[in-house]
Amino acid sequence: MKTRMKELRARYNLTQEDLAKKVGVRRETILFIEKGDYNPSLKLAHDIAEALQTTIDELFMFDQD
Amino acid sequence: MNEKPEILIGGIVAILVVSSLVVYFLTIRTVGALDLVSGAIIVIIIALAIYILWDRTKNIRKGLPAKDERLTTISYRAGYYGFIAAIWTAVAAPVIADILLGRELEGHLVTALVVLTSALVFMLSYFYLAWKGHTA
Repeated sequence: MKTRMKELRARYNLTQEDLAKKVGVRRETILFIEKGDYNPSLKLAHDIAEALQTTIDELFMFDQD
Repeated sequence: MNEKPEILIGGIVAILVVSSLVVYFLTIRTVGALDLVSGAIIVIIIALAIYILWDRTKNIRKGLPAKDERLTTISYRAGYYGFIAAIWTAVAAPVIADILLGRELEGHLVTALVVLTSALVFMLSYFYLAWKGHTA
């Protein structure tokens, strides 16, 4: 799974820690999601999309395989 | 914060286990290889547990949660590996002791091995999954 989180974080001038505080997770969780090493739950994906003022569709791109 | 009592209890348990270990080693007359190996495993487990408590405290101080959905999933998975390790230790330890030493292991030794192995497997799996990221 690919994500545009890093790009959108930069747009709103948010650090990983700022975003983590906004959505109530640890900073490492944001890091692993950005690296594609962790697939968030639907709720967390929704919370992150809301914090970055976008939609889940625009935030995460799923690989077909 | 809900996590504070959990961290406090964890810290107290760690202190009690370390104290028990110190008292045990001060009171036994001869220190065997089994005592040294089990003591070393307990020290490793306690060191890792203290690291987890310190890491959670650090996050709380920064205003972040001590535990989130990723760590909860990791805990469940590490717990599963620890459980599997416990079952296999209970089955394999007496058989291996019979083959290698030619005698049956006493019940208390099997229990100790099961507890130490499952705790060690849990801790090592937890740290490996936390370090690797764990793709759900």
